[in-house]
Amino acid sequence: MLFVNARVLRDIKARKGVLDNELLRRAYLYVARDQRQPPQIRHQAQLQLNTFGRYTRPTTVKNRCVETGRGRGIMSEFGLCRTVFRLKARNHELPGVHKASW
Amino acid sequence: MASIAPSALATLNRVRCQIFQTAYNPTSTRTGAKYLRKRLRGPSMMKYYPPYQQLSLAKLMKDYPEWDIVDEEEQIRLRDVEDRKKRGKGAPTKAKNKEESRRTQRRR
Repeated sequence: MLFVNARVLRDIKARKGVLDNELLRRAYLYVARDQRQPPQIRHQAQLQLNTFGRYTRPTTVKNRCVETGRGRGIMSEFGLCRTVFRLKARNHELPGVHKASW
Repeated sequence: MASIAPSALATLNRVRCQIFQTAYNPTSTRTGAKYLRKRLRGPSMMKYYPPYQQLSLAKLMKDYPEWDIVDEEEQIRLRDVEDRKKRGKGAPTKAKNKEESRRTQRRR
């Protein structure tokens, strides 16, 4: 069950924004970074890039804990924060994960 | 040991690019190709959270009026507002013109 708070909602919004604008952003990035293009055109492309909103950049997306919404100490492979990961691992709810002992 | 002329190496490089159909870029200018070559990250980003449906009482009430759902907290709030109005503690009426709004500001 997904835990939802304002920060998780914001992250979902950012992910959706990235999905919707990625193609266009890539095209502008290509033109802006291409050294063979005249400087005016590259500058125009860069200005266009700046018009995109905050939640269209992939860097605004942050993996958050699916069960608690926590933003730090996330194990991306499981999508869980360290506490929930530990609890679930102890309850044998994560296949292939068990407490190390030697 | 016989040394190879740089020009010969450059020619070799160009011919190699022709044969294997790779981009010939001897001056290493930035072409921005990497922004086109990279995979799109949006689709996989959307898969991170499991799908969810936002449930809210207001939406339920709107979608299923025949269920007769009562939002108790909202009822309590409305009752409190009525009580406050009776005691003369309600929100002030909106100013009709400039003078009225100025008077309310001075009073504060």
